Amino acid sequence: MKIVHKINLANISVIILIALTGFFAFQNINLVLTKLRFTEIADDLNTSFLEMRLSEKNFFLYGDTSALSEIGSKIDESMTTLESVGPDIIKAIGRENLGELKACLGRYRIEVETLKGKGAQGVEMQAGLRETGQQLREFSDRISRLERIKVNSIISRSKRQLFSSLCFILITAIGLRYMTFFNILRSLKQIKNVVASISQGDFRAIETEIPRDELGTVMTAINAMSMELENREEQIIQSKKLASLGILTAGVAHELGNPLNNISMIAQTYMEVYENLSKEDRIDFMVKIEEETQRIKHIVDNLLDFSRPKKSRNTVADLNGVVLRSFKLVQNMIHVCNVEARLDLAEDLPAVLIDEGQIVEVLINLMTNSLQASSPGARLTVTTSCLPENEFLRITLEDTGKGIPQELLDHVFDPFFTTKGNSGTGLGLFVSYGIVKNHQGTLKVSSKEGVGTCFTIELPVYNPNIKEEA
Amino acid sequence: MSPHRIMVIDDESIVGKMLKAVLEQEGYEVEPFLSAAPALARLKEEKFDVVITDLKMKGIDGMEVLHTVKKESADTKVIMITAFASLDSAVEALRGKVDDFFPKPVKIKDLKACIERLLGA
Ligand SMILES: Nc1ncnc2c1ncn2[C@@H]1O[C@H](COP(=O)(O)OP(=O)(O)OP(=O)(O)O)[C@@H](O)[C@H]1O
Ligand SMILES: [Mg+2]
Repeated sequence: MKIVHKINLANISVIILIALTGFFAFQNINLVLTKLRFTEIADDLNTSFLEMRLSEKNFFLYGDTSALSEIGSKIDESMTTLESVGPDIIKAIGRENLGELKACLGRYRIEVETLKGKGAQGVEMQAGLRETGQQLREFSDRISRLERIKVNSIISRSKRQLFSSLCFILITAIGLRYMTFFNILRSLKQIKNVVASISQGDFRAIETEIPRDELGTVMTAINAMSMELENREEQIIQSKKLASLGILTAGVAHELGNPLNNISMIAQTYMEVYENLSKEDRIDFMVKIEEETQRIKHIVDNLLDFSRPKKSRNTVADLNGVVLRSFKLVQNMIHVCNVEARLDLAEDLPAVLIDEGQIVEVLINLMTNSLQASSPGARLTVTTSCLPENEFLRITLEDTGKGIPQELLDHVFDPFFTTKGNSGTGLGLFVSYGIVKNHQGTLKVSSKEGVGTCFTIELPVYNPNIKEEA
Repeated sequence: MSPHRIMVIDDESIVGKMLKAVLEQEGYEVEPFLSAAPALARLKEEKFDVVITDLKMKGIDGMEVLHTVKKESADTKVIMITAFASLDSAVEALRGKVDDFFPKPVKIKDLKACIERLLGA
């Protein structure tokens, strides 16, 4: 159901409840009013009966027959009052009660008439009259008392009814609203979570049951988007792979081109000038061919290194030790380049699970690059540190070399990207990147032309609880 | 008649060495260079009949060598060596401007014939 419909339904049901409560309260008030009107009549009757009994007394005391006619007219009056009582009142007090009252009044009239005819004689007649008068009064007294009690009970009943229906209305209103908003909030929270994870690159869908309301529509849309994004990303990754494969093949072709050309030229020259060559020259030619094949082998090895997921010979190692070892290996080069190299190693670093040989290779690649980019007197600072939360260790290599121009920064990790002509293969950073990535780490570069370059390696801290994947 | 002078510019040292060996046997005078800058400096001092240059070099590349040579001595022939002809879009731009070009691996016999042709014309 749509949210709008839910809210409308909630509102309508609350309104119906209020109307019902009002209706019942109105009914009760009406009833009370009728009852009250009747008690008024009953009071009137009571007064008449009282007057009748007074006249009755006068008659007995003074034998005054005019008193009897007075009673007669009072009886007529009361009769008309009773006759004129509306049907609502009859219903309110009950038809039998009214009938009984009328009958009693009739008997009284007969007795009065008889007495009028006989004068003050018949003593039993007198007693009969007194008794009926008494009954009449008591009867009307009782009825009006009963009616008052009833009115009271009706009022207190309506009070209770009103109170409980108010409570009910409140609870329903609040409950319905809460339920509606609870559902909305829950859906919103799910949407928020999924959108957050999508933005992190985790393309999952909303897995809970999808409500059939507006938010449900949004959720379905988000799920569709997530799927679409996932597909797109796959496509992008695929095309990136193809692109780097393209760079790689073009690079391989180009890179292999030179040594192949060299071998070919040596062979051709050998044939051309064979007769003029001394024994040493001939050996020299063959040595050169051998060197060029080694060069090709080196390129192919590097490529295989990168493309083949290496059998990792991972061991738990102290990163500072690895940095020191690499540092010693380039010590001679540092000396030759006259670069001021400095180590700044954090103490008590947690261990890492690494292939030491490979990480040493990465560090040597990076330090060699720095040294090659530095002029005498430049500085190279290597630091290690532990990132907050103890999950990653960081190595930074910062040099004050010539830096990398902004427009080349995106390409330094590309295979065969080099600014060193034939003295560089352009595979150093490409291979290093692959190694660090295989270690679940990251390798990043920042640089400013003319100021210096900083490479940052981050490697995960060894966690003995995580079994290494085979 | 003094021998023809040929300059070879390629950062692969073997190219220079081999061409020197072959071409000197043919009676040419050959000077190899590993980069364009000293080669161009040398061109200012001395006139060369043929300049054989690699296209892709760090620093000054073959393209620039071509322009400078043609500007300074229009009758010096320029032969371009390119690593992979089909891959270098620059090759198209070279057509008509260079006197000839050779993809690597270079066929030395063809190169020799080419030089003869260029010098004979
Ligand atoms: N610290 C640095 N300072 C300046 N430029 C750098 C630095 N590190 C790398 N570069 C640039 O990135 C390019 C690629 O480096 P990479 O190590 O991949 O190849 P290379 O050093 O050219 O070749 P090789 O590593 O085979 O000797 C370099 O040619 C250089 O232009
Ligand atoms: Mg390098």
